[in-house]
Amino acid sequence: MKTKMDFPNINERKAEGVRADGNAYRVLVVDDSMFVTKQISQILTSEGFDVVGTAKDGQEGLEKYKELYPNVDLVTMDITMPKMDGVTSLEKIIEFDKDARVIMISALGKQDLVKKSLLLGAKNYIVKPLDRKKVLERVLMSLK
Amino acid sequence: MRVEYINPFVEAAFNILREVLNAEITRGELYLKSASQPVLGVAAIVGLAGDVEGRVLFDMSRPTAIAIASAMNGEELSDLDDLGKATITELANMITAQAVTKLHDLGFKFDLTPPAIFTGDNMEVTDTEVEALIVPVNLEQGKIEINVAVRERA
Repeated sequence: MKTKMDFPNINERKAEGVRADGNAYRVLVVDDSMFVTKQISQILTSEGFDVVGTAKDGQEGLEKYKELYPNVDLVTMDITMPKMDGVTSLEKIIEFDKDARVIMISALGKQDLVKKSLLLGAKNYIVKPLDRKKVLERVLMSLK
Repeated sequence: MRVEYINPFVEAAFNILREVLNAEITRGELYLKSASQPVLGVAAIVGLAGDVEGRVLFDMSRPTAIAIASAMNGEELSDLDDLGKATITELANMITAQAVTKLHDLGFKFDLTPPAIFTGDNMEVTDTEVEALIVPVNLEQGKIEINVAVRERA
């Protein structure tokens, strides 16, 4: 007779978005596209991350970061947005918190802005289209 | 209009659609229109201005737009709501960004406008002084027509 012991329990795998202490990593998603925000949020929450805030432009992103601080571990930041672009928002977030972990989300063809962001202190970048593997890989790399 | 302008858009559309829809797609016959032409119901338009100028339309029927947006979101959308429109806009964004990267590599320098979505019945588009090249792309969800009307700046 087969017992439960014979089957690996898939639920035993630790969700990637949860720290060793059992608390989830807290993420702020900044993007003017409702579609991209939803996509990133779905990927992250499915892996145990806690999306603690979203913002539709760089200005709102900066304000939300200050509001949430220090209860935020990571920001995903779109580059092209109205009001304040992602690179400026990144710069201001780093000014406010030099240890901020920000990942840039970029369309293809923005290499110069991506490079500038990395020099300003962004931890990593992801080029769209986004997929689960790519997002989780880069996010986890930035948190280590 | 030179075909070299449209090829990057067609290639980019193939790459991006294949990636986001995870399905096989085929292309139909390229054709040329110099006068007014009907728009299928949902059209994402991106403007180009620089060494080359004009516009690119990603044109599809409403049911096709809803089916594509549903597939990209991994859930059934019943209508082309705000999320659906944001999804089609993002699709146009990604395709255009990839195409423009190729055109920039070929030495053409120009800027893009953010995509805008038109929806409605019985619409047509008229390009004066520049002819449009159209490539139909066939998907499981229906057909997208990539409609490019650009010219070199005089």
